[in-house]
Amino acid sequence: MLTRQLAPLRLRRPLPSTSRSLGSIRTFVQPTPAYHASVQDVSPAPPPGPPAPEVEAHFTPSASMLGFKLEVPRREESTLRPIYLDVQATAPMDPRVLDAMLPYYTDQYGNPHSRTHAYGWEAEKAVEVARKHVADLIGAEDKDIIFTSGATESNNMIIKGVARFHKDKKNHIITTQTEHKCVLDSCRKLQEEGFEVTYLPVQENGIIRLSDLAQAIRPTTSLVSIMAVNNETGVIQPLKEIGALVKSHRGVYFHSDCAQAVGKIPLDVNDAQIDLMSISGHKIYGPKGVGAAYVRRRPRVRLEPILSGGGQERGLRSGTLPAPLIVGLGEACSLAQREMASDHARVSALSNRLIHGITSQVSHIVRNGAASGYPGCVNLSFSYVEGESLLMALKDVALSSGSACTSASLEPSYVLRALGAAEDMAHSSLRFGIGRFTTEEEIDFVVQRIVSVVNKLRDMSPLWEMVQEGIDISTIDWTQH
Amino acid sequence: MSAPTRSQVLGLYTTMLRTSRTFASYNFRNYFLRRTKEKFRQYASETDPAKATQFFQEGVKELEVLRRAAVVNRLYEGPKLVVEKERLGRAAGFGGGGSGMEASVGGSGQPTGSQRVA
Repeated sequence: MLTRQLAPLRLRRPLPSTSRSLGSIRTFVQPTPAYHASVQDVSPAPPPGPPAPEVEAHFTPSASMLGFKLEVPRREESTLRPIYLDVQATAPMDPRVLDAMLPYYTDQYGNPHSRTHAYGWEAEKAVEVARKHVADLIGAEDKDIIFTSGATESNNMIIKGVARFHKDKKNHIITTQTEHKCVLDSCRKLQEEGFEVTYLPVQENGIIRLSDLAQAIRPTTSLVSIMAVNNETGVIQPLKEIGALVKSHRGVYFHSDCAQAVGKIPLDVNDAQIDLMSISGHKIYGPKGVGAAYVRRRPRVRLEPILSGGGQERGLRSGTLPAPLIVGLGEACSLAQREMASDHARVSALSNRLIHGITSQVSHIVRNGAASGYPGCVNLSFSYVEGESLLMALKDVALSSGSACTSASLEPSYVLRALGAAEDMAHSSLRFGIGRFTTEEEIDFVVQRIVSVVNKLRDMSPLWEMVQEGIDISTIDWTQH
Repeated sequence: MSAPTRSQVLGLYTTMLRTSRTFASYNFRNYFLRRTKEKFRQYASETDPAKATQFFQEGVKELEVLRRAAVVNRLYEGPKLVVEKERLGRAAGFGGGGSGMEASVGGSGQPTGSQRVA
């Protein structure tokens, strides 16, 4: 049926000179150009011909051009950028952070480890100031902070490092099913090396049961790794209670992946009895490619370094420190500390506006994860709509269906599955990330777009029609012929 | 330095607002406008002269940062955001301004499909 009607359609189409129809087919499959993410109709460039008269008039060749023709870039058609609502993937760098970094990219280029001249001293001083800002944000001491290339490196370094250092006496690690990929994969790697790993389940609201954790801790447990704020659902784990529980056992270290939590919710390593923590720069409006690890010194937590070399950073992370990036991370932390209360109030207000705006106009929406989580991360499942088609239709909103690391695969999010979401609901989820720079106008625009696209997709869906007629879809036996 | 006078604070306030408006990025511009207004509104209820002085000095420093940041931001100006065009269209009265975008959202993948199914 379909093919028979397709054929005449194709014939009616004018032959390849046809830029228009080609362009309109490609709109959906063409990846966004790498240079600028923008909403645009990707129509092929016009054939090279004589330049437009206005361009020629603009560049009248002068004698000094010596007869060379000036290459005039063709003026891009006006393209518009989509609304950015994916702050959990990465946040725009605060302009104040860039301003703090620029001197270290231009004038003050010294190596912070150079001890013999002023270039080194000024860079070292800047790094130490940044270290203090990072430490202050989490209530730590300066010397406990180790700079790394990001939270993934911090997580790898800590989990593998602690486990391997204590492998003679202890061979057990505890983590949760909803951790970030880099924690789970580090654990999997350790399993291959012969360690035992317990992956704690979570409740329907995304929070672990403390009784499960208490039961899982053995005399051979060396590390408990539980994240603070989940990157897909925004669920906040009760770090203080977990820390108290873990610390009631001797010789068990508590690690928390706080990439999504630092600078957004108040954290204190002494209050929560955290021994090790991972911090990321680009999630707190800082530069990409830098992060930090908090490694407690009193009582001392020992770990085996991954990188060997010059012994920088207490020997835990050899390699020259990237002074400009570290200055950026420090400035981002100092800003986060000053702006945390105002940011949080703002993000909460916008988050309520978004949730209320969507749920008041569209029915059958489920919010994944506890509503008490971080308000800047809202994960909604739209029943009877496929998440990927929703994303495709929402070209003017930059959203993701889950974590950026896993969004390449069409598998439903393992985090949502761990929360007990049905497969169809995990497939129809969208994650809205609201940040410091989001405006009301953007939220209203997104609400309006979501409502119209969801309604349109549901109108096309036979499932939705059946639901409207009152048929309970879950009772249908689909395999029957 | 003694406590800043009212006109000094007002001058700083207007300069900061003016500088914030020079950001090319929609999000940064709106953020700094909003934060400047919020901060000075909080300051309005400040009575302690020492704190007022500190607020003023920090403001002067931040103004310098904003000035430089806005220049850099303008140097690498990107295309406008979708919401900006909407407002522009309404103000200038282009009726069909958004039509290209709208049409491409629904126009390329879906409509022929729905016709075929029907």
